[in-house]
Amino acid sequence: MIALPGLNLTSAPAEPLNLPAAAATRIQDLAANTEYRFEVSFGRALTIRLLSGTAEFFGTELGPSATYTFQGTKGSVFTWHGCKLEIGGQAESEYVAEETQMMSYVNAHFAVESLRGRSAATGEAGPGVLVVGPNSSGKTALVRILMSYAVKSGRQPMAVNLDPKEGMLSVPGSFSAVAFSSIVDIEDGWGSSPISGPSPIPVKMPLVYHYGLANPEEGKIFKPLVTRMALAVTSRLEEDHASRQAGFIIDSSGLIAQGKSGVYDNIEHIISEFSVNILFVLGSERLYSDLTRKYSNRPGEEPVSVIRLDKSGGCVDRSEEYMKQLRQAQIRSYFFGHGTDAALAPSSQMADFDDLNIFKISEGQENDSFRPGNDGDDGYGASNGIYEKETPSSLIQNSLLAITTAAANDRPDVIRDSSVRGYIYVADVDEVKKKVKLLSPQPGHTPPNALVFGSFPEDVPALVS
Amino acid sequence: MSLPSVEVAADFKDALQDLKQNNRPEISNLTIIAKENTEHAQAISVELENHIRTTRPEWKLPALYVLDSIVKNVGTPYTVYLGRNLYRTFMDAYTLMDQGTRKAMEGLLRTWKQPVPESMEARPVFSPDVTRDIENALNKYSKLAMQHGLPARPVSNPAWRNTPTPPQNITRYAAPNDPRVRQPFPPTQQYGHFPATPPTQYPSMQPYPQPVSSSHLEDLKAEVAKLIATTQNAFASNLADVSLRTKLQALLDLQKILNTQTLPPQQLEAVRKQVQALAPSTPYPNFVPSVPIQPPQQPLPMFPPAGAPVNIAQLLANAGIPAPPSSTPVAPTPSLADMLRRVSSPAQPSSTPTPNLPFFLPGFSAPPAIPTSVPAAVPASAPAQTGTPTANLAQLLSQFGKPIAAPALVTAPQQPNSLPQLLAQSPSAPTIGSADWLINALKGVPASTTPSSSTPFPSASMARQLSAPINIQAEVELTTASMKKPRLHLISKLYEAIPNICATCGRRFENTPEGKQKKARHMDWHFKVKDPDAAKRGVHRSWYISEKEWIDYREVDETSPEQTSNGAIGSSAAVKKQAKDKYVPVPQDPTLLHAPCPICQEKFDPRWLVEANDFVWMDATKVGGKIYHATCWEEYSKGAGIPTPSTPDSVLGKRKAEVSTPASAKKVRAY
Ligand SMILES: [Zn+2]
Ligand SMILES: [Zn+2]
Repeated sequence: MIALPGLNLTSAPAEPLNLPAAAATRIQDLAANTEYRFEVSFGRALTIRLLSGTAEFFGTELGPSATYTFQGTKGSVFTWHGCKLEIGGQAESEYVAEETQMMSYVNAHFAVESLRGRSAATGEAGPGVLVVGPNSSGKTALVRILMSYAVKSGRQPMAVNLDPKEGMLSVPGSFSAVAFSSIVDIEDGWGSSPISGPSPIPVKMPLVYHYGLANPEEGKIFKPLVTRMALAVTSRLEEDHASRQAGFIIDSSGLIAQGKSGVYDNIEHIISEFSVNILFVLGSERLYSDLTRKYSNRPGEEPVSVIRLDKSGGCVDRSEEYMKQLRQAQIRSYFFGHGTDAALAPSSQMADFDDLNIFKISEGQENDSFRPGNDGDDGYGASNGIYEKETPSSLIQNSLLAITTAAANDRPDVIRDSSVRGYIYVADVDEVKKKVKLLSPQPGHTPPNALVFGSFPEDVPALVS
Repeated sequence: MSLPSVEVAADFKDALQDLKQNNRPEISNLTIIAKENTEHAQAISVELENHIRTTRPEWKLPALYVLDSIVKNVGTPYTVYLGRNLYRTFMDAYTLMDQGTRKAMEGLLRTWKQPVPESMEARPVFSPDVTRDIENALNKYSKLAMQHGLPARPVSNPAWRNTPTPPQNITRYAAPNDPRVRQPFPPTQQYGHFPATPPTQYPSMQPYPQPVSSSHLEDLKAEVAKLIATTQNAFASNLADVSLRTKLQALLDLQKILNTQTLPPQQLEAVRKQVQALAPSTPYPNFVPSVPIQPPQQPLPMFPPAGAPVNIAQLLANAGIPAPPSSTPVAPTPSLADMLRRVSSPAQPSSTPTPNLPFFLPGFSAPPAIPTSVPAAVPASAPAQTGTPTANLAQLLSQFGKPIAAPALVTAPQQPNSLPQLLAQSPSAPTIGSADWLINALKGVPASTTPSSSTPFPSASMARQLSAPINIQAEVELTTASMKKPRLHLISKLYEAIPNICATCGRRFENTPEGKQKKARHMDWHFKVKDPDAAKRGVHRSWYISEKEWIDYREVDETSPEQTSNGAIGSSAAVKKQAKDKYVPVPQDPTLLHAPCPICQEKFDPRWLVEANDFVWMDATKVGGKIYHATCWEEYSKGAGIPTPSTPDSVLGKRKAEVSTPASAKKVRAY
């Protein structure tokens, strides 16, 4: 194993940036209770500056003297009081919407907030919120708004991401949980996990697990991981008084909202494992009525309030192409940082095949079929069929490996349930010399821990030029 | 005055050492030392805190009276320094006291939640944030004391008032804008009113003299406070009601007058009659959350038409009621003219960039359903009636306000179209436009919906509690239908209630000493992370922390005082707790409460832990619904529990001995 720092590694942007010229700005007036919606592609940048009034981006207020730069973003700037914005650069599309769902979202916040007040007074656990809805119904936007308002109200809420499609403070394919005591970032998704130097935005401290598949219907990892995260979050909340009062808000995948003939196994699993007591259903009438039926009239059980919220008109279907670019941008930003001024320096490493303990997530039905029943020794079945030991080959080139906290000789369910320390990227595999070139966020040795490799996120070609 | 802090602090300490009873001359003397040495306020505050902490229990109360006297007579910066640790100072002492002394301390606390009597300062002695924490702790304490069979705390006597507080006829000097910036010490002549020889003026062991009619006055004040609360409730559910707004404003003005001026008996009598007339005639329903705010049916100007009992001129005149020669800096408030301009044309935000003044009137912004060009509106069904007590009161008040209010405004034209003219006359009169009353009204959380059982000390000053987060009650029901109701008045909780915005990142801070401190630390933090060389030094992504570290991790944001000076990042070291230092709050559940540790079968000893703000069992951990000794559990569960098979270097710079780590060979920098 040789560490080769300082090889002038640079991130290769997908397209050259077209930063707006300073002069090419325009003024956008917004009346109270309206929002400016925009889409900007990954190769371009849009700048927004607040000239007067007040404005929010998913609940986080724009600083009056800051200029925000957006790339690869579909977002909106909303104002409660009216404002004047200075906009620079080119948006793929932009318009002002007079009808928004912000009133109902802020009501949702204050409804949750009143439970936090109660928790502060009584010491009982704060609100446990789960947001569900079909794809592109604005779940993540709602979670961000609720988180931002909670932080603004002086709370320290916990955000939990169970949607593998987009990472929260980590790469896609991961699940994470984090308490927010400082503002949610505006330009860079949820902000940044810790780096080794000062960060212009307060870093967040997430707990990260690797899921490694695109589809949460794959029961053999999803449910055990949910159980595990619920255990960790519950343990934390038992002693972390500030976060306990504020409670948690869970973002979920649109796929678990599809259900099977009115049964939403994964949703029910999340609700029971996390003891969710508020369920916000975005958009879908059917999902709402199914879940209302399920969670009303359960005498003797903890009540779950099921509340439907309308989907915002700003929610647009995001093309698979866009999602793929978004994932790649998230992965790039994990290694290289976000934006031009937060350049991180990952390091390149060479490792022998024998140094790497790679476990590939088994997919397909055959693993389940030769299990004698669904009650394996860990309660979820398929415990032994979770992983296959993988010898490095060109198959893993350009993919991400999750560095778990498990040892290579741990049981598969221990590997599955362990949180991750980070990710390394397989830049090159030399099958002849049996060497692998890796990109690691940090200089140092290649970890002997169990490394997990799944089908999601997909390969990221040319992360290193 | 150029003495070093240590010497001043040492003198102060010496004087403190001699204080063994509630001796008024000594307390006055210490207060004077504090007053004349505000540039050493920090050192003096530390000395005082240390003394209260370390002195014998029976000498703590006199020392607390010194604290009380200083914060009431000198105010800032002592309120800032002493407010920081007040919770600890108070609770540490409280837990050691006998019942009688506790009662006395509760009395002190009660007065800290109110403005200094007779003072021009309308805000409470300590910020509600500070006192609320203590109140909550006392609440819990008494509850748990009962559960544990300790004698219950006697019901506190609301009339208890034995604070050695001299009258507040002294002008407080302005606090520094920023706690870090030293304000030049003002000339001593300014304090000529301060009793140079307090002992003669305030004989030992006597409550300070009250105005003759003080009890009547107090009754009247209480009555007014009650009316204000009722009116605020009504107003909160009907923001567009002009008559309510007028009434509310008049009442708030009245409160100000009562708090700041000494009225001749006959005027007092007149006011009392007005208030009595108002009291029964307040049939405003209690705040009913389920009543939706009707969207305005027709555009109307925000001021009542001519002939309405109270015109805009009177409003303005009333608003011009003597702003107290404010001691503490107030966040920039927009002029009323500015506000009116925005209100009357919401689609056209002021062309002047006012990035630091995001004080709009949410109640007047156009609801989503109506075209944005329609200005704020009033339901036609809510006109104020001529000749109501409200109007009379307003007139009465405008008389009081006359000497101070600008004459031009008192006689201002009553026609709406003359408003621009009116405004044009007053662009340079920023004091006129104090919109505090309206902003406060818009904060409008009905204080009466607060379950009084949760508040140990009923406070007469309900209005002041309005911005307290704890009072955000279940106003928004958790139902699908409830989500759709417009409640624009709530928005002010996210804006006006936290008025100090950071221009760099948009984070907001409360306009309290604590909020200002937080903002100061926040700005320091911005400055530190702006290190231009940081990006060039091979900064890299850190490893995520392990499950166990994460569970033990506590957020420390950049505004907390614990933030170390080199620290910069919103993540201070995750202090790994030793098992012995672990604790759980004493359980409410009776079975758990009486259950011994399942491993060693020994019972737990309850103890008040100031850090936890709770009654706790030390060396305890809760696992799977049962409580174990943390040490027992650790022994028992070695390797079990939540396993983290290998624990690599943490991002926080801790080092572990294990060789099998994925972390770098070189030590990860703590930042
Ligand atoms: Zn800031
Ligand atoms: Zn034990």
